[in-house]
Amino acid sequence: MTDQTLTSNQTVAGALPVRTLRPADFEALPPSAPTTGIVRPSRSYWQDAWARLKANRRAIVSLYIIIFLMLFTFVGPLVWRVDPALQDIDQISQGPLASRAAVLVEPFERWDGVSIDEGFGEGDGLRLAAQPTTQQVRLFWNAVASASSYSIYRNHYEPQTELILGLPIASITRDGINWYEDRLDLRARTYYYSVVALDDLGQRIGSPQTVDADVLRVITRDEVASRGLVDDPDALQIGDAVKLSLHPLGTDYLGRDMLARLMAGARVSLFIGLLAPLMFVAIGVLYGATAGFIGGKVDQAMMRFADFVVALPFLLFMILFQVVFGIGPGESGIVPMLIALVILSWPATSRLVRGQILQIREEAYVSAARLLGGSHQYLIWRHMIPNTLGVILVTLTFAVPAAIFTEAFLSFIGMGVAPPTASWGSMCNEGLKTMLTHPHELIFPALMISMTVLAFNLLGDGLRDALDAKMRNSV
Amino acid sequence: MKSDSSVDNRLLSAAGRQLIVFTVIALLAVAALMFALNWLAGLTSSTAGGSRTAVDFETNTITTYLRDEPPQMNSMIATDAVSGMILNHVMEGLLRYDQLGNLEGGVAERWEQNGSEITFWLREDSRWSDGQPVTAHDFVFAWRNAVSPAIGSQYAFILYPILNAEKINNSELPIDTLGVRALDDRTLLVTLETPIAYFDRMVAFVTFLPAREDFYTATNGRYGADADEMLYNGPYIMTSWVHGSSMRLERNPYYWDDNRGRIEVINFAHMTSDPNTLLNLFKDNQIVMADLGATMLEEAMLQGWQIQSFQEGTVFFIEFNHRDERLTRNLNLRKAFYLAQDSGELVNRVIKLPGYLPGESLFPGWLRGVEDSLRDEYPAPFYNRNITLAREHLRMALDELGLDQLPQMTLLTGDAPTARMQAEYYQEVFKRNLGIDVIIDAQIFRQRLEKMTSGEFDMVMAGWGPDYDDPLTFADLFSSWNLNNRGRYASDALDAQVRIAQSSLDTVERMNAFGEIQRLLYEDVVIIPNYERGYVYVTDPRLRGLIRRVIGAEIDFTYAWIEE
Repeated sequence: MTDQTLTSNQTVAGALPVRTLRPADFEALPPSAPTTGIVRPSRSYWQDAWARLKANRRAIVSLYIIIFLMLFTFVGPLVWRVDPALQDIDQISQGPLASRAAVLVEPFERWDGVSIDEGFGEGDGLRLAAQPTTQQVRLFWNAVASASSYSIYRNHYEPQTELILGLPIASITRDGINWYEDRLDLRARTYYYSVVALDDLGQRIGSPQTVDADVLRVITRDEVASRGLVDDPDALQIGDAVKLSLHPLGTDYLGRDMLARLMAGARVSLFIGLLAPLMFVAIGVLYGATAGFIGGKVDQAMMRFADFVVALPFLLFMILFQVVFGIGPGESGIVPMLIALVILSWPATSRLVRGQILQIREEAYVSAARLLGGSHQYLIWRHMIPNTLGVILVTLTFAVPAAIFTEAFLSFIGMGVAPPTASWGSMCNEGLKTMLTHPHELIFPALMISMTVLAFNLLGDGLRDALDAKMRNSV
Repeated sequence: MKSDSSVDNRLLSAAGRQLIVFTVIALLAVAALMFALNWLAGLTSSTAGGSRTAVDFETNTITTYLRDEPPQMNSMIATDAVSGMILNHVMEGLLRYDQLGNLEGGVAERWEQNGSEITFWLREDSRWSDGQPVTAHDFVFAWRNAVSPAIGSQYAFILYPILNAEKINNSELPIDTLGVRALDDRTLLVTLETPIAYFDRMVAFVTFLPAREDFYTATNGRYGADADEMLYNGPYIMTSWVHGSSMRLERNPYYWDDNRGRIEVINFAHMTSDPNTLLNLFKDNQIVMADLGATMLEEAMLQGWQIQSFQEGTVFFIEFNHRDERLTRNLNLRKAFYLAQDSGELVNRVIKLPGYLPGESLFPGWLRGVEDSLRDEYPAPFYNRNITLAREHLRMALDELGLDQLPQMTLLTGDAPTARMQAEYYQEVFKRNLGIDVIIDAQIFRQRLEKMTSGEFDMVMAGWGPDYDDPLTFADLFSSWNLNNRGRYASDALDAQVRIAQSSLDTVERMNAFGEIQRLLYEDVVIIPNYERGYVYVTDPRLRGLIRRVIGAEIDFTYAWIEE
């Protein structure tokens, strides 16, 4: 065959005599003997890329994290069947792994200030009238003859001086009342109560009377039943130990389960994070490819329009979309957010793809294919798309964390989901308020955002290296 | 194979090292950035503002903050609490409240009511800050201005008890027909529409403060817009007002009462309401007092600060929309909502601040009745939470309305974090206990007011603070003619009681009327009382005699002094 080609070439050159071709020349050659010496099996582009990605530990770890995240989001709620909107009023702002032991008690009834439980009320000064529980702490004290009012204080620390007594929880101005029932945000811990008698002018009379109370966590039968803590609430006796509902990651400021809210929030974040990039990358690819492929004046016009879109301020448009879509009160702003993201984010992809297409269009193999009569369709499917796929894939993986971040940011400033729906951004916003006292409410959603964004970024990084044809066979 | 795995391991450890290095570098960079920014902040703050400590003995100065920039200082049109607080320091009306909250003479030495005529005798030594005496004409001028339709004061209605005030405000009568006359420079005669028992208590309100005509005219409509566009007759004068940033009050040399104004300079060096900023300023000894949020109590106890609380006097409630087209017009539905919730749980578990009281009535606990507290004399009836009963009422309501299921209900609320938190709590309470879907409509104050006025809500989380020290300031809120009755509740029985309370001169009869109004509101479930608001605050131990009030200035430094 080589000879013949050579010959025909020479024929074209017209330097050598023409050899007549015979039918035998057109017969198939016998299968050649198996060749030896191929060092390794031939690999397709994708096999090669996959091998290189596998060698990149960071990317693989990120891939596992993303797989875990998907499981967390979509399988998690099936395993952890807790309503993210359920408010566990007994366990507000509870840290992870907090104690859950509680004792069953009778439902709360207001104290008349007279009845005193057995074993309490002995001694002098300020004292307890009943077992202090998270339901109520009943206090009474010796009446001071000349007092016109009493101030009751509560402290988390033992008072060191008579002036610093802690929180003023109540002041009693009615005559003849020398008792108080404290119900304010009681936790299972030790409180130091003090009471100060005041005269008509608000001056203190004598020293404060003090008592400390070890508060017991309690629950009523109705609460046990409504939370479904045990199978048969009626079988429980007063004084039985009950375990409160489990909150592995603690609860938020309204007693909602953090784990369930993180899962619900992940759904919102990933919905935006995956759908928006898919849509705007698709639009960007179509737009960029068209512009690049047609070229000329059309290309110019299309790209100037893309420049125009780039110049639009995102936040302003976000607000405008919320108005235009008539997002009413209490409605979720997710759909306008999605649309705004899609409408405003495609130009970056389209520019990238257009550049790629322009470059490939001028490649020798494309010219060859065109000269050989390849149709537009053939050129696009055979050369353009496969050669831009790497770029598109990389753009996509980088667009995902960007979109997740945008969603978190917008929810953080209150433009995203409506309560009671959670999203990581809105959870961060809520957690920020209690950052100093209950840091877990901020740390967990912030950690989820950081982890997800980092994982997608590292995976995108790995993909870019793996899909770069110029780095082929480098591993 | 062997070489492969070693390559893998090498790569793995390299990647791990890289990650660790990156993390360390990132953390160090963040720390360095924080220090740098802190240093920069120190540079800028040392140049801004004069005084740097909360209490300065040498100059007898205290430094504190304002929650907001006051819109303006014209007492005739002021509506907000911050302006009211400042005006209480720089101005003085005919009457005022003393340290214990009792009414006493301010500019007026004594006063006397005789049916529908009240005479005030002004003291001789009351002076404006330019040395001229305060005369009865200054009050006539200010009050006429306050009701004049040209100025359009939102608080004009508070002068309506004065003869012809309402008609003047509606442009039906000329301005000089107002029932207030200066008999001479030091005698003021006020004629009322009908004899009422509480007019003297109203006179302590900001809208009744005086203004001098010649100065007012000279400001050319800018009265109260700046420190030098005002004339003062109170214990302090405003010497500087940097809009949006600071304000400085100094003792008024012409002021007559030596008991007030013992501190030389009050420096409002900050204008912010952010609790975290305030807490940090207080910690750094930059301000003498700060209000605390629920999350800061732990810190305050740890630091061993003197914590105080006080009931601010405002009552908060969920108001139903009683307009014809709304489902909340149905009594059983309103009852179902009421029975499903527990205001004690809201206060004790969600708000978690001492000083707050669970709501039981429209009338707060501090109001005085015949002899004792109004609420002690007329205990408020209220429904305890009963979910079974609530569901029964809901079923009855659905039958009456001919519905299978209730559509979504809108709960209008403010945009403050605490307001949203409470709304979210109620949303879940109604969903869990009644199966009703409630959507939260969180709006900024002005927008919320607009929606309340136009009736775009089913329920609204509203509050009402007192204007004067009489239960009527709350009682007439749900009278059918009151424009602040945003739910448009209308009941002849309640209107009749309000009229009794307005016109009667007999205390017992009036208090009975208030008790009756309280009962009517409960029976008709016009509102769900939520809580009476309180404040928890810390003060510098060197500052003594600070007063926080329910009526008038919320924070009052005029009786305060500093002590080492």
